[in-house]
Amino acid sequence: MSEAESKEIKGMILYRAGRHGGRDVANWRLFRPEIDEDKCTKCGLCAQYCPEGAVTLDEDRNPGIDMRFCKGCGVCANECPPEAIGMVKEGR
Amino acid sequence: MPESDVMPGNKAVAHGVRLARVEVIPVFPITPQTTIVEYLASFIADGELDAEYIQSEGEHSCMGMAVGASMAGARTFTATCSQGLAYMHEVVAQAVSYRTPIVMAVANRVLGWYWSIGPDYSDVMPEWNLGWIVNFVESNQEALDMILQLYKVAEDRRVTLPAMMNLDGFYLSYSQERVEIPDQEAVDDWLPPYEAAHPVDPTVSDSWPSNLIPPVLHTTYRRIYEEVLQDSRKVIEEAGRSFQEAFGRSYGGLVEEYRCEDAEALMVTMGSMTTAARRAVDRLRSDGEKIGLLKLRFMRPFPADELRSLAGGVDTIGVVDRVVLHGTGGGGVFADVKAALYNLDDRPPVMNFIAGMGGDDISIDDLYSMGKKIVKTSETGKIEMEVEFMEHKAPPTPEPVKIEWDSPLYPGSAGCAGCGSSIILRRMLKVLGPDTVIVIPPSCGTINYPSVSKVPMVLANYAAAAAFQTGFYRAYRKKGKADKIYLACYSGDGGTVDIGLQAISAAAERGESMIWVCYDNEAYMNTGVQRSSSTPMFASTTSTPIGEVWRGKPQRRKDMVLIMAAHRIPYIATASLAYLPDLERKIRKAAEITRAGKGLAYIHVQQPCATGWYFPPEKTVEVGRLAVQTGAWPLIEVEDGILKVNVKPRELKPVDEYLKLQRRFRHLSEKQLEILQREVSRDWQSWLELEKLGRLPWY
Repeated sequence: MSEAESKEIKGMILYRAGRHGGRDVANWRLFRPEIDEDKCTKCGLCAQYCPEGAVTLDEDRNPGIDMRFCKGCGVCANECPPEAIGMVKEGR
Repeated sequence: MPESDVMPGNKAVAHGVRLARVEVIPVFPITPQTTIVEYLASFIADGELDAEYIQSEGEHSCMGMAVGASMAGARTFTATCSQGLAYMHEVVAQAVSYRTPIVMAVANRVLGWYWSIGPDYSDVMPEWNLGWIVNFVESNQEALDMILQLYKVAEDRRVTLPAMMNLDGFYLSYSQERVEIPDQEAVDDWLPPYEAAHPVDPTVSDSWPSNLIPPVLHTTYRRIYEEVLQDSRKVIEEAGRSFQEAFGRSYGGLVEEYRCEDAEALMVTMGSMTTAARRAVDRLRSDGEKIGLLKLRFMRPFPADELRSLAGGVDTIGVVDRVVLHGTGGGGVFADVKAALYNLDDRPPVMNFIAGMGGDDISIDDLYSMGKKIVKTSETGKIEMEVEFMEHKAPPTPEPVKIEWDSPLYPGSAGCAGCGSSIILRRMLKVLGPDTVIVIPPSCGTINYPSVSKVPMVLANYAAAAAFQTGFYRAYRKKGKADKIYLACYSGDGGTVDIGLQAISAAAERGESMIWVCYDNEAYMNTGVQRSSSTPMFASTTSTPIGEVWRGKPQRRKDMVLIMAAHRIPYIATASLAYLPDLERKIRKAAEITRAGKGLAYIHVQQPCATGWYFPPEKTVEVGRLAVQTGAWPLIEVEDGILKVNVKPRELKPVDEYLKLQRRFRHLSEKQLEILQREVSRDWQSWLELEKLGRLPWY
């Protein structure tokens, strides 16, 4: 391929699609959410409202939190109708 | 007795403005300038400064306000930098011919191009040839003192020109130094009130400045203006001397020499890098090198005479430039230094170092190595490299943490914990799917989400987001792609209701088929919580702080639903992050309408912001829900003119239940609370009455 046909544009900064991930923000967290599976009604609100998108539901709608991405904001615990999520101080 | 305090450069500037008893202060937030006007807001809120403070909707207007106020005869101050200064440009030029002695602080920051909030002089470079007096300071004390001196110079009848003071963003704007604050009485004695010679004020004046002359006189007047600016040198020097007599501090005239006696090589610097350059020169001197340092304090008028007189005694001059004149191969100061020396019979070679762009640090070691090269050239008489870019290697960036599931907005963003904006954006991207292009003007979202978005998020210039978007839309339409790509803007409230409104209004009127989503966190959050015209009444922000005199933003907010309805666009809605199915349905509706080419679809989503509304982050959704349940944020949609109130609680909760969670309303008096409740109830009734109409009458 000749230089004129190349897609390499000198000095052009590109954002490339397909990174599929962000930074590890676990060290932002002061409080850690802990799900009480017995209380959980699998309503899925925690996954809908998690600002970070760190909560996902498995095929049985059980919520799981990827702690690499949880900033510990506590929105999931605050919104959980049966109060199945507790916020526990990190380091304890 | 003057007091001393340790303070950042921006506070020193604000003290200078307070002491100068400035009368009119138009403002618009931009990092790293913003805290200057925040400190000024606090002074006014507490009754320490009596000034008109105008929260403009954008920098173009901000400078327009400054020109108007100055022409009317008021002592006027404003501050900006970077994109804001560029957006002002046209009015910055106009300020000169109207002979307005405005003083403007520029907390330098790179002009994008590549974006950063760090300093270089690419922002001020396009402005310094317009006829302003252009000063650069090295320290916070110099910043305070020069605000006073620049008023003295600018308002002098021999000058009567605007002046800008440049202080490096971060290195000075936010860095703490000890600063002596002069006594008000001493400043009053030294700087009397401004009396315009020809104010635009028919009650006292029968003549005023005009900017209209026939073409045949333009060359003549350019010559005259150039003479005025050149003659301002002596006024600058006089002001410096009399300031020293009154306050005991001196910085030299247009330049300051450092260890230039017997120097054979000369380094030229400007601004805060000079402090590091002094230490580098000290080291070179202790190595036995005969090098001196020249700090340019003024870029306009350019200190050509001072340079010429020093040039005779040195063998090489090295200019350190924090700005590139693209297309010339070198820096801006370099070009002017060379031009000043070219007609000398005996001129030394001039070399150039481009350094510190975008806020990259210029260390003592860097300056030492530049100094070595200048000395070497003076010894050999031969320049090895005329222009050198002083580059540093970037530290390695960590690879993103991959996720195993699919998400339109990856986790691990830089957003605040509990950020409501990401809830809205994730939901929006989920509905619109992978063939979506997002245009985003400067906002928190710009900083936090493009790097974790699956689809392109294109940063648009602030006032031009709807224009960028229109360009995309028309190109897609021309290429037959308008029904294959969803095109949405994701803008904060500033980019929608203030600086962006003109372009949105124009796009709505032209019928551009695209989606506009405003995530409204009710203030300028990205610059640190300044009021916007979407900030609710009585809220405290950093530009409407609570003090002895001020008790929150006095005005009611703008209503974008009514404004957009006046454009008769096919779809308008409000939404809330607490009502996600409703938000999702509205995004889907907007997608359908725009895909069918029917025109602009506008969705205004309230976004409670823990950081700026001051509530605990876990309350983000709860606060949003209470806004709807109290009627403070009604959920409405207008489709083809038919208005519906989507969520009607059986009984609205008292608005206090929503307000009391937020510290921005903590100061509310009973009277203020009563007014807010009355406003909310009345607005709620108004929406219900509009709903009864069936179709809004102007559709």
